[in-house]
Amino acid sequence: MNVIATDNHQRINPTQLAVRVAMTGLMLLSTLSVACAQSVILPAPRLLTLTPMGGTAGTELEVVIKGDSLDGAEQLIFSNPGIQAKPKVDDKGNPVANHYLVTISDDCPVGVYDARVMAALGISSARVFSVSDQDEVTQAKPPTTVDNAMPVQVGQIINGVLTARAINHYTFTGKAGQRIVVDCAAKGIDSKTQPVIGIADASGGDLQVQRTGGVIDYTLPADGDYLIKVHDLTYKGGQEHFFRLAINRLAADAVVQRLPRIRSVQSFSWPPVGLVHAATANEQEPNGPKQTPQTIALPCDIAGSFYPAADVDVFQFEAKQDETWWIEVASERLGHPTDPSLVVQRVGDDGTLTDVVELSDIASPVKRSSNGYSYDGPPYNAGSADILGSFTIPADGHYQIRMTDSFGGTRNDPSNRYRMVVRKAQPDFSIVGWALHMGLRNGDRNALSKPIALRGGALIPIEVVAVRRDGFDGPIDLKLDSLPEGVTATGLTIGKGKTRGILLIAADENAPRGLEFTQLWGSAEINGAITRRQGHMASMKWPVPNAASEIPDPRLLDQFPISVGGVEQAGLSIVPEVEGELQATVGDKVTLSLKLIRRGEFSGSSMSLKTFGSGFEKAAAMDFSLTDPKTDVVIDLAKLKTPAGKYTIAFYGGAVQKYAAGGSKPNAKTKDIVDIFVSQPLTINVQDKEAADKLANKTPSK
Amino acid sequence: MYHLRFLLLLSLFFASELVAEQPQRTSFINDVVPILTKAGCNAGVCHAKAGGGQNGFELSLLGFEPELDYRHLVYESRGRRLFPLDPKQSLLLTKATAQAPHGGGVRLKPDSPEYQTILQWIQSGSPYQIEDDRQLASITVEPASGILQRGASVQLKTIAHYTDGSTRDVTRDSLFESNNIAMAEVTDQGTVTAAEIPGNVSIMVRYLGQVSVYNGAIPLGIKNIEFPANKNFVDELVFQNLERLGIPATKVCDDGTFLRRVSLDITGRLPTARETQAFLDDQAPNKRDTVVDRLLASAAYADFFANKWAAVLKNRRDDTKDIKANFAFHAWLRDNLLAGTPYDQMVRQLLAATGTIVANPPVAWYKRVKEPKQQIEDLGQLFLGVRLQCAQCHHHPFERWSQDDYYSLAAFFSQVGRKPTDTAGEDLIFHKRGVAQATNMKTGKPIAPRALGDDVGEIPADEDPRLRLADWMASPKNPFFAKALVNRYWKHFFSRGLVEPEDDIRDTNPASNPELLAALERHFLDSDYDLRELIRVIVKSNAYQLDAIPLPDNKIDRQNYSRYYPKRLQAEVLLDAIDQVAGSSTSFTNLPLGTRAVALPDNSYNKSSPFLKVFGRPEAASVCECERVQSGSLAQSLHLMNANDIKSKLRDSKGRIQQWITDKAELETIIDQLYLAAYARLPLAEERRIASEHLRTKADATVGQQTPAASELRSNLQDLAWALINTKEFLFNH
Repeated sequence: MNVIATDNHQRINPTQLAVRVAMTGLMLLSTLSVACAQSVILPAPRLLTLTPMGGTAGTELEVVIKGDSLDGAEQLIFSNPGIQAKPKVDDKGNPVANHYLVTISDDCPVGVYDARVMAALGISSARVFSVSDQDEVTQAKPPTTVDNAMPVQVGQIINGVLTARAINHYTFTGKAGQRIVVDCAAKGIDSKTQPVIGIADASGGDLQVQRTGGVIDYTLPADGDYLIKVHDLTYKGGQEHFFRLAINRLAADAVVQRLPRIRSVQSFSWPPVGLVHAATANEQEPNGPKQTPQTIALPCDIAGSFYPAADVDVFQFEAKQDETWWIEVASERLGHPTDPSLVVQRVGDDGTLTDVVELSDIASPVKRSSNGYSYDGPPYNAGSADILGSFTIPADGHYQIRMTDSFGGTRNDPSNRYRMVVRKAQPDFSIVGWALHMGLRNGDRNALSKPIALRGGALIPIEVVAVRRDGFDGPIDLKLDSLPEGVTATGLTIGKGKTRGILLIAADENAPRGLEFTQLWGSAEINGAITRRQGHMASMKWPVPNAASEIPDPRLLDQFPISVGGVEQAGLSIVPEVEGELQATVGDKVTLSLKLIRRGEFSGSSMSLKTFGSGFEKAAAMDFSLTDPKTDVVIDLAKLKTPAGKYTIAFYGGAVQKYAAGGSKPNAKTKDIVDIFVSQPLTINVQDKEAADKLANKTPSK
Repeated sequence: MYHLRFLLLLSLFFASELVAEQPQRTSFINDVVPILTKAGCNAGVCHAKAGGGQNGFELSLLGFEPELDYRHLVYESRGRRLFPLDPKQSLLLTKATAQAPHGGGVRLKPDSPEYQTILQWIQSGSPYQIEDDRQLASITVEPASGILQRGASVQLKTIAHYTDGSTRDVTRDSLFESNNIAMAEVTDQGTVTAAEIPGNVSIMVRYLGQVSVYNGAIPLGIKNIEFPANKNFVDELVFQNLERLGIPATKVCDDGTFLRRVSLDITGRLPTARETQAFLDDQAPNKRDTVVDRLLASAAYADFFANKWAAVLKNRRDDTKDIKANFAFHAWLRDNLLAGTPYDQMVRQLLAATGTIVANPPVAWYKRVKEPKQQIEDLGQLFLGVRLQCAQCHHHPFERWSQDDYYSLAAFFSQVGRKPTDTAGEDLIFHKRGVAQATNMKTGKPIAPRALGDDVGEIPADEDPRLRLADWMASPKNPFFAKALVNRYWKHFFSRGLVEPEDDIRDTNPASNPELLAALERHFLDSDYDLRELIRVIVKSNAYQLDAIPLPDNKIDRQNYSRYYPKRLQAEVLLDAIDQVAGSSTSFTNLPLGTRAVALPDNSYNKSSPFLKVFGRPEAASVCECERVQSGSLAQSLHLMNANDIKSKLRDSKGRIQQWITDKAELETIIDQLYLAAYARLPLAEERRIASEHLRTKADATVGQQTPAASELRSNLQDLAWALINTKEFLFNH
C-alpha cells in the first residue's frame, strides 16, 4: 500500500483518502455543480479565500479557508517556512473542517506569501497570505452603515470583506493636525475588489476619496471621530471581495510605505541577473530639455522618477561610432502604472537633434489573448510597457537619451519611479510558465488558474515563454529540478529565436500521492558557456468560467508545487508506441502508432490531436480514436520543412470526459467535462538524407 | 463640341461688345454674391445644401467660396446657367424670377435693383472680379447700439469697409436676424421694431461673410426704483442693468424659500425638516452665507454637479462591460469636485488623459469621444462655448471659424495613441510621439495645431500637443474658457444664461449683461478657477435671492433677472425629493440602498426607472445640456398622480408616514413636518386647517375631533403627502 508523504511528513493511507472523498460525496457533488458550471477541466483543488487574509509576525491566529474541491484537505501550507499551520481541533480532539491555527514566527519578514492546501486531489491553487508587523483585526461582519461602523485604532490593519451594494465603515478618533495615511490592499492580495477608500467625517460626509489604487494621505482638520469607508468601485461584494486596510499615523515628512502586494506577471523579466540591488546613480533634476541635461557616461545604471507631470529627463553622453549599447528601463515592472518611452538622439554641434532610435514597449513573447469568446492565446502579458532595446552609434559625438512616461502627461506622483540601465550586450533570458489552456470557443478560462495536481496517468502541459535580452537568440532547454515520486517532466525546447516552449509534467499511472516544490529552469549556451536561469510560474488568481463577465487576472506565484493526488486516475493516456527515439529522414512522412489507455468514459469516438514541439506546431491536426486501442498518425516532415535535428514532441487535444468523482464506479453520476489530454512525449531524430544514406550504406543488411 | 465652342466665343464677343456699352461694371464677388445670399439662393436648405446643392446646381454656403460658386454658375453644365447672347434669358434670372419652373419660387423681381445688377453683370461679360474691385475688410452697423423704446423702431444701416479705405452702404444686400424675436423683430431691410418685453436684444447683420451686431436696450422705463442692497459685484451689475432698463426687482425671498432654493441648486436635494427648522430658528445675520458654505462643503454638492458634468461628458452605458469605466469616470468627477480641484486642472486632466480608465478615469472620455473631430467639437461646445461643427465643411456662417481653424484644432488630438485593453471596446490612451498635424479635408493640406486662430508655438514631436492645448485653454488671456464656464454655471442657478444658448458664445450672440459676464469671468480667473467660489459669489448675491413671485412690472421680464425664474425640479432631484418627503428610498442596481438619484453614475438607470425617463433625465448622448428635458408633459402629471412607484413610496412600511403612525405623533406636528419637508416652510393657517380636517376624516367621510384609526390616518396622511408632492410649489424650485 502506498503511503502519501506531505512536506510535513504526515502520512495518510490513500484508500482512506478515497473513502473520505466518497463519504463526502454530497459535498463533492455540490462542489461539482460549480465545477460543472465551469464545464472545463476536471475538478482541481482551489483555495479561494482565507479569513483573515494575514496576521502579525510573532502571533498565532485562527484561519478559516474556503475553496473548491478541497475535500480531504490535510494541511495548509505557506510559501514561507516561518508560517506554519495545524488543523484546529474541537474539544474532543476532532479536526474542525477548514479551520487552522496558524503560527507566524517573530522573524517572518513582512510580505505576501502563497498559501495552499494539500487536498485529496492534490495541491490547491494559491491564495495570498500577508504578514505584517502591525496589530491586526478582523471584522466579524461587514459594518455597512455609519451607525454600526467598526471601531478601529490608528496603527491597525483591518482584514475585511465587502458586501455587495454596500459600503464598509470603520471609525477612529484622531486629533487635529495628525497626518493619517490609509492604504488598502485588494488586487495585490488576490482579491477581486477594485477598492475605493475614503475618509469621512463622523456623519459619513466624504472628505477625501481614493479610487485609483493610491493611498489617502490626509491631515485631520480637527479633533474628533472620523470614518474610513471602503467599497468596490462597482459595489461588488462577497467572500471573494476581501481586503486589508491599514490606517496609520505618519510624521509629516515620513515616506509612505505601501502594504505589500504580489508581483505582476510582467515583472518576471526584471531584474536582469547580476544587477545590483540599487542603482549606482540618481537622476538630477532639473534635467529637462529646456533645462540642463544631465551628463552621464556609458555604461550607466540610473534611478529616476516621472515627476512632476509631463516630466522629461534628458541624459547626455559621448559615444564612439559603431558602439552598440543595450538599454533596459524598468518602471511598470517595478509596480508603477507607467509607460516609459525614450528616444536616443544625436546632438549636433549647433544643438540640432537627430533621432537614432525610439524605444518603448517590450513586446509580449506570445500573441496575447483578445479575451474574446474564443481562446486565441494566453491572456498573460509577459511583455511590458517598459523598455528593452539597443542602439548603435552612427558617428563619434554627443548623444542624449530623452526619457518620458507616455502615461504621465497630467500625473503628479513622485512615487512613479524608474530605473534605466545602459550596458554593453549581456545576452541572457528570463522565462515564465503557466498552465496551458486549450483552444475552446466558450469563453471559459478555468484552466488558467489550475494547480499542478496530477491524477495518475495524467499529463499537464505548461506553456513557457521567454524574454530574450541583448541579442541572445539561442535555444533554451526547459527543466524541472525535483519532482514527486512517479512524476516526470519533459521540456520541449524553446527553439532558436523562438519565445515559446512547452513543458510536460506527467504522472505514472500508479504514481503515489506526493508533493514537491520544484523549480523551473531554462538553460542555454551563451558565449560558449551553459547559463541556467530560474523561471517563474504564473497563474490566474481565480477560476473564470466566463471571460465575458470577468477578465482573468494574472499574477506571479511564489512557488511551483507539483502533486499527485493518488485517489483518481486520468480518464485516458496517449502513449507513442516507439522504442527509444523515432528515426526519420528530412522530407519523410513519418507514421507512428499512438496507444490509447482508457480509464473513463468519453463523449464521441475520436478526438483531434495537434502537436507540441518547436517546428511541429503547424503539423496538420490528426484524428485519434477514443475507441480503438491504437491509432496511426502521420507527420509530414516535408510539409513542415523540418531540418535535421533531434526534436521532442507530443500530441494534445481536448476530449469530453464523463467524469465521476472519486473515479469510475458503476452507476456513478457523471458530468461532461472537457479537458486537455496530452500524449507522452517522444523524440524524433531527423537526419539529413546524406547522413541517412551514409548510415544506410554502412549498415551491412542494406 | 465645336458648336459649343463657337457659341462660347460668340457669347464672349457679344459680351465684350456689351461691356463696351456699359460704363458701370459689376463684380461677381462684391455685387452678385451678396444678392444670391440675400435672396437665399446659397442657404443651407437651397443650393448650398450638402451633397450637391439643389437639382444639380450647387453654391457654397452663404457664398463663402465665391470661386467655387463662380465656376458652378458660369462654367458648369456647359455654361447653360448664363446666356450672354440674351442675358435676360439666362437660367439664373428666369429661375430666380420663376419665369422658368423653380422649386425655390420667386427669389427676385424683374424690376428690382438686384435683378438689374445680375443682368448687368451678365451683360458685362460676367467677370469674376473687375479691374478696380475692392476687397471687403469688414462691416459695421449704424447705430451699433441704442435704447429702443417698446414698440419703437430703428433703421439699421450696414456699412461695408474695404481694404482701400472706401466704404459703401450695403444695407439692402445685408442679412438681418434678431436673437430674440419675442423682444424685437427686424425686416429684410434692417428695420428693427421692439416688442413689449424689456431687456437687451441684438440684431446680427451679415454681409459677404462679415458679421456685425446691433445691441438694443428695450427699457421698461420705470424710474426711481429701489433695489435690494448690493452684496457683491453680481448685485451691482444685475441691479445696474435693471435700473438702466427701468425694471423693478422683486424683494429678497424669505428664509425658507432661500434654504430650499439654494439646497436644490447646490446639492440637488431638499433641506430636511430639521435643517429647515434650525435655519428658520437661527437668528444669525449671516446665516444664509453660512448655509451656502455648508452646502458647498458637502459631498452632496459634488454628487449633484458630477451628475451635471457626467451627462454632458457622455458617461453613457451602451454595454454591461461599461460599468467599471462609467463608475470610475463619474466618481472621478465627483471626487475632484469634492476635493475642489480647480476647473482648469480638471479639464487638463480630461483632455490630456493617458493610461487606463481604472488608473486614470478621465481616459473614459476617450472611450466615448473617439475621433479627433468629435473631440474638438465636444471640447469647443462644452469648454469654450464655441460650436465648431459647421466649420468642418465650410466657413462658420455666424462666426469667424474657417475649416483651417477646425482642422488646426483637431491637430492637437492627432497624436493620441490607443492600445486595446482586456475590456472590449476600451483602449488605453498614450501620447504617440510625432509631429502633430491634421489634414484639411477640403484642401488636402496638412495643418499644424493652432488654437482657434491663436498661435501656440511649434510643438516638438516629443511633446503631447494636448498639454499645449490645455495650457492655452487655461491661459487668463483665453477669451472663451472661463467665460463659457461662468455662463454655464450662471444658467444653472438662474435658469437662463447670460448668453443663450449657454454653449453658443459668439460676437453675434452677445450676452444680455456683458458687464456681468465679464466680471464673473474675471472673478473666476482671479480665484484660480475655483468652482466653489464662483457658486459662492453667485448664490450669496441678493440677485440670486430675489423672490420668484413677480411684480406686476417685472412679470414680463425674461432675461434680466429681476426675479428668480422658477424651474421644474430635474428628474433625479424630483425623485429624491419625493423619497425624502416620503421617507422612502429607491433601489438602483449595483448601487447601495440609499443612493440618491442625483448620484447615479450613468444613464443606464433611465431604462429601469420610468420616472427618470418620463421626467427627462438625459441619455448622455449629447454634449448639450439641452438633452435634458425640462418641459412638462401629460405623462409627467399622470405619473405623479397615478404611478405605482409614487404610491408605493407613500405606503412604504419603513417610510415617514408609517413612522408617524407607529410613534403616534401629534397631527399638528405631522402637518408641520410634512410642510417643512416638502416646502421648507410651516403651513399657513388655512393650509393647516384643511390638512388637519383631512387627517381627521374618517372612512365614512365624517370629520371627527379625535384622531381616526391608524389605518384611516395612514390613508389620510398618504393623501396629504400625495397632494403636497403634486403641487407646483413642490415640483418647482422657486
